[in-house]
Amino acid sequence: MGGGGHIIFEVRRPRWEMGMTEEKLYRVRFFEFLTDEERSEFMEDAKPAAFEAGEVIISEGKEPSSLFILMSGRVEVRKRLSGGRDRLLAEMDADREATVVGERGLLGQSGASATVRAASRVEAIEIPRKTFRRMISEGRPAAFKLSYRIARTLATRLTRLDEEIVEAIRDLERRGETDLEAFQDRLITEWTV
Amino acid sequence: MPSTPSLDGIPLFERLSPDERDELAEIMSPASFAAGASIYEEGGPEETLYVVTSGAVEVHKKILPGRGHHLAAIQAPAVIGEMGLLTEPRAAASVTARTPVEAQGIARDQFLEMLDEDSLAACKVIYEIGRTLAERMARTDESIAGIISQLERRNARGGHDPDVFGDRLLNEWGF
Repeated sequence: MGGGGHIIFEVRRPRWEMGMTEEKLYRVRFFEFLTDEERSEFMEDAKPAAFEAGEVIISEGKEPSSLFILMSGRVEVRKRLSGGRDRLLAEMDADREATVVGERGLLGQSGASATVRAASRVEAIEIPRKTFRRMISEGRPAAFKLSYRIARTLATRLTRLDEEIVEAIRDLERRGETDLEAFQDRLITEWTV
Repeated sequence: MPSTPSLDGIPLFERLSPDERDELAEIMSPASFAAGASIYEEGGPEETLYVVTSGAVEVHKKILPGRGHHLAAIQAPAVIGEMGLLTEPRAAASVTARTPVEAQGIARDQFLEMLDEDSLAACKVIYEIGRTLAERMARTDESIAGIISQLERRNARGGHDPDVFGDRLLNEWGF
């Protein structure tokens, strides 16, 4: 999550509501590496999506997710733990900055590892996994370039996570015990949906 | 004229057309390592990505002073050094040849240059690497969730066994 970064992506805002004719250009920090034509390729198949507070955007354990560019609203990311409990991993505010969730699902085969739920009304643009896979099988450069971007995000997170794990092990060994809360917090900071 | 390395049967190159394979072959150079030879040194440079075409390598990391921890054994065909390509060119662990190893080296700089120039061949290789990273991330997430659950259960009972966590964390390592 939060794979946004330093990217400008101009999106023509679709008609969210019936009768609404106004179209606005939104500037989103995403996809700067694509040419204008490649951005349009994605946008042709991208779908507008809106969620009311409480609605699930990505569901843990189900199919690999689509990628969502969150344009406005707030979301919560939660992870199920054993014993029926769950844990809040992150809160994201797209009103401050458009953000991306679900990018791992485009590349991976596994189901989503956490649930993303709207905490207020959320407007998003969905790049469906099926669309992305089709673009890959057609050999379209835009899709391969997006995977480069996602791979870099994943590699950076994995590297940080590996370092955290080593640090945690060293702590455990040094003190013979550890501050469990701090340990858990460190492990979940690098979560990806 | 150097012979073109065969990239057949290596999953990383499956999506590449013959022309794209030739394009990549141009920046590859053959490398061999004797059994026991060091390929990457933990903390040292990781400027070359290797496509291991035969043999096996071992991955070690210094976790605690004076003790190297064995993380993984990797059998050809495989790619090593891909994290250095996507992040900093610094090896997170040591990799040594377990048997005689034949490989094709790809210089990080040259590969990144191809990516900058939007080479589709290079992007396709990255796509395959990205797929393996996505699965590795999924496994890491699940194991961390398991560890957190375990910690919370033990915490609720008022005690814990640090060694178990250390072992479990290491077992789940995905290099």
